[in-house]
Amino acid sequence: MKNINIGKKLLNIATKQKAVLAIIVILVIMVFSKTNFYTAYNLFDMIKSVSILMILAFGVTLVLVAGGCDLSIGGIMVVSGIVTIKLMNANIPMWISILAALLVGAIVGAINGYLVVYQGTEPFIITLGMGMMLTGIAQQLTDAHPIPCNNPNFVKLANDKLFNIIPNLVIVMIAVFFIIHYILRYTSFGRNCYAIGGDYEVAKYSGINVLPTKAMTFVICGITAALGGVMLSSMLNSGSSTYGDTTALVVNCGVVVGGTSFAGGIGSAPQSAIGLLVFGVLQNSMNMLGIDAYVQQIIQGIVIVAIICLDCYGRKRKRETV
Amino acid sequence: MAERIWNMKEQINFKNVIQTVFRDYLVLAAIALLVIITSIVEPKFLTTGNMTNIMRQFGPLIMVALGMTFVIIGGFIDLSVSGILSLVAVVTISLIEPLGQVGALIVGICLGTFCGYLNSVLILASGAMKQAEALFITYGMSTVYGALALIYSGGRTKQMSLVKANTSIYKTIGTGTVGILSVSFIMFLVCLLLLYIFQNKTYMGRTIYLTGGNKTAAELAGIHIRRSITLIYTISGLMTALGAIVLFSRVTAASPVIGKGYETNAILAVVVGGTTLIGGNGSVLRTVLGTTLVILLSNCLNLLGVSVYMQYMMKGAILVLAIWLDSRKQL
Repeated sequence: MKNINIGKKLLNIATKQKAVLAIIVILVIMVFSKTNFYTAYNLFDMIKSVSILMILAFGVTLVLVAGGCDLSIGGIMVVSGIVTIKLMNANIPMWISILAALLVGAIVGAINGYLVVYQGTEPFIITLGMGMMLTGIAQQLTDAHPIPCNNPNFVKLANDKLFNIIPNLVIVMIAVFFIIHYILRYTSFGRNCYAIGGDYEVAKYSGINVLPTKAMTFVICGITAALGGVMLSSMLNSGSSTYGDTTALVVNCGVVVGGTSFAGGIGSAPQSAIGLLVFGVLQNSMNMLGIDAYVQQIIQGIVIVAIICLDCYGRKRKRETV
Repeated sequence: MAERIWNMKEQINFKNVIQTVFRDYLVLAAIALLVIITSIVEPKFLTTGNMTNIMRQFGPLIMVALGMTFVIIGGFIDLSVSGILSLVAVVTISLIEPLGQVGALIVGICLGTFCGYLNSVLILASGAMKQAEALFITYGMSTVYGALALIYSGGRTKQMSLVKANTSIYKTIGTGTVGILSVSFIMFLVCLLLLYIFQNKTYMGRTIYLTGGNKTAAELAGIHIRRSITLIYTISGLMTALGAIVLFSRVTAASPVIGKGYETNAILAVVVGGTTLIGGNGSVLRTVLGTTLVILLSNCLNLLGVSVYMQYMMKGAILVLAIWLDSRKQL
């Protein structure tokens, strides 16, 4: 009897704090491995490599909190990156190109929002189709080759370091983090998002303007995805249609790992950051340990399945106890 | 949704008739329009060679799409088909030498069925009752199956011409014809007949509709929804395995990424055919229409010289459009 209780408690902790738990486990394993994992260079590199996904994840958090889902972020990311580089190669100033790319993200987000919210389509499938379409557009724009950038200032945008320590990319990520955190926590718009995700009907009858609010989350998600795309292109100094193939699902899974729920109404920016950090730490430590790329893919797949299953299981238990 | 099916039979009013005609014949109209336009612009379209070509292209996608139909009728979704397709193709072709061609065929089909079963076990164990949850779980499994295929094959493509054993079955599936029909097309007709009977005339087939319509109601009515969820994913795995065998027989090689893109194409075929994503509605016959449209579209665009990237984009656009129209019908 006692054993069952302890088991249940452990399961409760595992389902609630699974992200922190996973990070601690990996970090402890890495202590005993004889690698250069615990060096400032590697740790900053790890944060930098996960920053792009985090920028995308903060937008996705907003959408998931409001009860939607966006799988087109991978497509938005590659298209906006390619648009920036194409415009700059046509001798248009950098800032205008970047603004144009962000506008592309906002427009795609608005289309998603219109179709999902005002037309009542299933967000998962419609944004999957949208992502497919955007990948096609990206391939058409680049002929499926990576395209280089002619503007020498562009590469500095993400790679220059503040005080020679912190890469600009990380600073952008932190800025987006604070903006989204502020929106979700301290504005009526953010609080309304929680209400809508928690119970759509109740939110509607309490006088919240549900339709524009929910559609707006998609627009913001589109803009953050476009920003991620611009930063990615700047980091690699090239645009390619193949970068975003698995991004959407990895980011969504990462956000769910952090504790945001598919059902909506639960979640926050710090949780998403921790969730994405799990993937960053996992990837980095697997590289450090020299694990075969295909095996890495299996491990990542199993981690995704395990975490989503735990998330579902937690909700199932909740349903049954109430 | 299930109640709506029963109601439609009793009170056929004007609005329902319009809706049904719109839903069923929009695809037919699109197919007819596509055939007419292409045969005017490009006379090569109507030659026997091209028709045989279309019939062969039909094989792999329709198998996967038929399995996917049941998953979608049951109110779920299966993104793992691309992984299963690659894994089954790679494993089957490598086992022809040690096990003989019949043995490899049996192992391949069993492997695909098992992968589908494994999906259902995970979904049932975690209590995922929503389409979104199933989507992410099956996506994760797709990554796992795909990576297994890569590890098993070492990332290399295996040619059938290099297999030092008798491969007559696969050659027949790939290139054989009976009269004017290709063998893969006959396989499809047999599968369609069996699945149609299963869908309409058996108890288990009917429960899939009720599960998709309303899970809680179905469970309270005494239907084993867990059994039907297991069934839909197992069927999907089985049909995907058959699709994999048809596919690598036709292209006479199996690469570990051969199945890429089949999941979205299969969903596209099912949705364009008129099976609704909400579940509880649809038919394998509609999927046949949807697949015909998808295959004809890529054939026509190829003949008209449209680039592959543009085709990919158009497929995405059609998927978005089809889902949009689909949801408008339910308003």
